[in-house]
Amino acid sequence: MKSNRVISATATLCLGLLMSAAALADSIQPLGTGTFTELKAGFEGKPFVVSLWSVDCLPCRVELELLGELKKEDPEFPLLLISTDAIEKREEAVYILEEYGLETIPSWMFADAFIERLRFSIDPTWHGELPRSYFYAADHSFKAHSGILTEEKLKEFFPR
Amino acid sequence: MTTLLWGVDAAAAENCQSLRERSAGQQVISIHCGGAPSATVDADGRLWAAFVQDKHVYVTRSDDNGVTYTTPVRVNSEPEDTEYNGENRPKILVAEDGTVLLSWTTKTSPNFTGEIRFTRSTDAGKTFEPPRTMNDDGLMTGHRFDSLFLTASGKLYLTWIDKRDLDASAARGETYPGAAIYYTISDDLGASFTPNFRVSHNSCECCRIAMAPHGDDEVAILWRQIYDEHIRDHAIAVLGAQGEVSGLTRATVDDWFIDACPHHGPTMVQAAQPGQYHISWFSDGNLHSGIHYGRHDMATGTTENIIQVDGTPGAGHPFLARDDNTLYMVWKGFDGMASQLQLMRSQDDGATWSAPQTLYNTERASDHPLLVTAPHGVFLSWSSEEFGYLFTEIGSDEKQ
Repeated sequence: MKSNRVISATATLCLGLLMSAAALADSIQPLGTGTFTELKAGFEGKPFVVSLWSVDCLPCRVELELLGELKKEDPEFPLLLISTDAIEKREEAVYILEEYGLETIPSWMFADAFIERLRFSIDPTWHGELPRSYFYAADHSFKAHSGILTEEKLKEFFPR
Repeated sequence: MTTLLWGVDAAAAENCQSLRERSAGQQVISIHCGGAPSATVDADGRLWAAFVQDKHVYVTRSDDNGVTYTTPVRVNSEPEDTEYNGENRPKILVAEDGTVLLSWTTKTSPNFTGEIRFTRSTDAGKTFEPPRTMNDDGLMTGHRFDSLFLTASGKLYLTWIDKRDLDASAARGETYPGAAIYYTISDDLGASFTPNFRVSHNSCECCRIAMAPHGDDEVAILWRQIYDEHIRDHAIAVLGAQGEVSGLTRATVDDWFIDACPHHGPTMVQAAQPGQYHISWFSDGNLHSGIHYGRHDMATGTTENIIQVDGTPGAGHPFLARDDNTLYMVWKGFDGMASQLQLMRSQDDGATWSAPQTLYNTERASDHPLLVTAPHGVFLSWSSEEFGYLFTEIGSDEKQ
């Protein structure tokens, strides 16, 4: 299983190495209760994809790998990444994003301990399961998906 | 151990913010500030609680039902990356002879690896033995989401989610959905443990395991299990004191097709009738969506009397307790602005339930609610930014 190979290859690295990632600049911004509305406004009239993940979510790594490959092929792909971890964990998040070449794309992390409210601000019907992705059309009608995103699903939900 | 923090009478309405404001810049180690506390009540009716702060597990005691607390005792002298969140928190039990028993999960890398840690105190919580790693595979892989249970006969069961079989499958180039459930037993209150035993392959990787007694010596456990590679419903099994696993069966058929981490574990208590269990769980399946309750019969392997407790999207994390003739369930709801701590009761073994009652409403962050059954009643154990740590009796009477 490809995803397991990727994960076990990194499993031997210790937390000490993780700390060295802290010195690198990252593109992570804090997500507050009003942030998601602002993000959507930034894409007015344009389609975009949101992928929600967390450092503790194994299936999310499979999705991040796919998204990393996608961004390599198509650097203009309109992708936003939101980690549901507290922004205090940003070093850990950056370390993981670097694994998949995603450290420079627009990224947000939960910046309010009241996570129920942050979830609600993204989607009132989301239960918190991860990975979770959203496919916004140009008119901002959207489809939601829970679980690992595959290339087929991505094509189905977000035809380009 | 008996000195109160800051010499202040820590009232029930205390929270971390108020403690910090009064601390004049000193570090505040308190149950009101610590992460993901859990609690138990000893044979003398005293409350013991464990929580995580600054990479240490702490234990504190209250002899007045959570009004005042002793100065927290640091359990692990070396800092560890101890997990503390709604689904994964340190567990504490106190045996009849006063031995304080603790387990927790320590993260060992950012890639889901961890170790199951155990320690105990044989001097009434003054000092703790150096923590031991309980997974016996020596592998740098996932061992997480520990649960600890002490039977009436004094057998200590420790169970967790384990990825050793996933690693072995990956090495053979085979796929392996999810993780496995393992356990170990001690019959000398944690002085020694058996080797690890496997309960089941293909569990979900990220949900707490519920435990309840089964006879005097055994335990029943309930966990989220993967069926047909993609369905994440629940399984139940009985664990024996010699490593024997029996009665493994599917406990919920929700048809939740999801390759994702729900971070939403079940809860279970023994029913009045032997071999029956009250269970509650969360699903977003095709058959059941939201929080559900049901009564599982080990003899027939079926779950009956299934009812939807709360189907609103923000609702989750139910917890059950039983006390004489009353069954209690608490859970968290969310209305878009605030979280509600909800309670309902059943006086007829789960056949019918009272209307949900909102005990607390908060517009700030809060933990999952837990219930603790004590000789003198059932208590809510719940941590929130607004109210601090609450240990509050829940009466069997609706009007209370």
